[in-house]
Amino acid sequence: MAGLRIFVYVVVLLMLTPTLISLPVALTDTSRIAFPPPGLSLRWFQAVFADGVLLGAAWRSFTLAITASVVAVAISIPCAFAIERAKGRWRTTLETFITGPRMIPQLVLAVALLVYFERLRMGETFLGLVIAHLVVSIPFAFRTVLVSVASVDRRLEWSSAILGAGPATTFRLIVLPQIKTGVIAAFIFTFILSFNNVTMALFLSGIGERTLPVEMFNRMYVGGMTPVIPAVSFLLVVVGVAVFIVLDRTIGVYKYLAGRE
Amino acid sequence: MAEGTATRVTRAGESMRGWVLFIAPIVLLLIVFFVVPLVDLLSLSLTEHKPGPRDPNAALTLVNFVKILGDPFYLAMAGNSLLLGLLTVIATLLIGYPVAFYLTRSSGWERTLISVACLLPIFTNLIVGILGWYILLLPFGVFQQLLSALGLVDGPIQWIRSSSALVAVLTYEHLPFAILILASTIQNVPQDKINAARILGASMPRIVWSLMLPLTAPGLIASAILVFSLSVSSYLIPILIAGPRTQVLPISIFSYSSELLNRPMASTLAFILLVMVAACTYSAVLVANRLTRRGSWEMV
Repeated sequence: MAGLRIFVYVVVLLMLTPTLISLPVALTDTSRIAFPPPGLSLRWFQAVFADGVLLGAAWRSFTLAITASVVAVAISIPCAFAIERAKGRWRTTLETFITGPRMIPQLVLAVALLVYFERLRMGETFLGLVIAHLVVSIPFAFRTVLVSVASVDRRLEWSSAILGAGPATTFRLIVLPQIKTGVIAAFIFTFILSFNNVTMALFLSGIGERTLPVEMFNRMYVGGMTPVIPAVSFLLVVVGVAVFIVLDRTIGVYKYLAGRE
Repeated sequence: MAEGTATRVTRAGESMRGWVLFIAPIVLLLIVFFVVPLVDLLSLSLTEHKPGPRDPNAALTLVNFVKILGDPFYLAMAGNSLLLGLLTVIATLLIGYPVAFYLTRSSGWERTLISVACLLPIFTNLIVGILGWYILLLPFGVFQQLLSALGLVDGPIQWIRSSSALVAVLTYEHLPFAILILASTIQNVPQDKINAARILGASMPRIVWSLMLPLTAPGLIASAILVFSLSVSSYLIPILIAGPRTQVLPISIFSYSSELLNRPMASTLAFILLVMVAACTYSAVLVANRLTRRGSWEMV
């Protein structure tokens, strides 16, 4: 067991190093990417909040992820109820179909949508990007919502119906409280996956319409990378870790992220 | 009597209509923006590339497929992608399995620490991780300084463009997915069975080999399939870590679609990538079913 523990901690260290290394690199007072930094300063963190293009990209990513995750979860809820309560072959067929986009490499789907949107004259539009994110979010949102819908106690619903409540009242007072946590979890996780998705936007966003990850990629690849990118990177890590710890301590990360019962 | 039947029929009709309304949004959306685009991709791969806007009445031809499948350059590229996927799967499972095992046996803050470290790549975007590795692996970067300080290497080392760096970063990025699946499978192995094996005198390797591995085979196969599919179709990691000249399918697909604007060739290569992933997934499931001699389990 001691050997195993050492192995696990070496892996933990190797997993943390690439994410944490961006901090010292961003704290440099020169405009070179170097470790260790020659001198310390916060100028690159200030530069993040003065960089209009970067902030615009971050805002675009945020609205994109919010729209995609809200719509994905909203249309998943009725669908999850219908499928959870359907019997027989239909159920398996529909479940496989809805989780289908997860089986296809995103790169292939991105090329397909690129070609398709051009044909529909929707190339390089925000709507196209929202739809693309929606398609890759649906399998995840649906599976997560389905897990909580499957755990709804139907006897409570029947009791409510027997006592004279209509379907709407039953849903609001009996069903909703039972699925609330699962729906919130589905929304948060879908948002995270959508916010961090690079592949779809890389193919589908126009030059002036880049999302945050694509803007970061572009500065790294095409050039012009200053320590402002490690600074953004570190800020994203801090937010990521905070969200992770809060979720892990409240609703449990494994239950929802694995997406399997 | 007749009235009662009528009411029942109407109710059944209404609930059927409700059912269809409930699933319609998702199904329609996926038909229009998932199924049709994929069919469209296939049809485009069957046309010849001409400059200018797309001709809706272009004749169908296999010229792109002939060009790719008859060219050793593209075959070597597909082989490279395949090899890269396999190496990453092996590395991911070798690292992920012990970590997932340890994770299921840990609790409290130790569990949170390991989880944060090992699942963080899911909670940040791909570029964050790639950037970190880029900084670490640069000539005169952190790893090199470390090794120089230990007296292990001398002078600059060309790490950033190497294929071992590529496998390392692919493993780093896809390890979380493997750990998630493996941890949920290992969780289901009853501790009683492990205890029983131990009492009967089985050694640790024996327990792992004859008890843990067969019981967690579904999780191993599922994570292997997922990691393979993600690694083979990864574009950002090869282009940023190994460079734009790396011979893998995704880089060629992106270059044809967005730089050379030869969409038919991009579609053909994307379709070949899709077939490759599907074929590997299918054969992995077949092998797994034969090994466990059970019905099919739910995949991914």
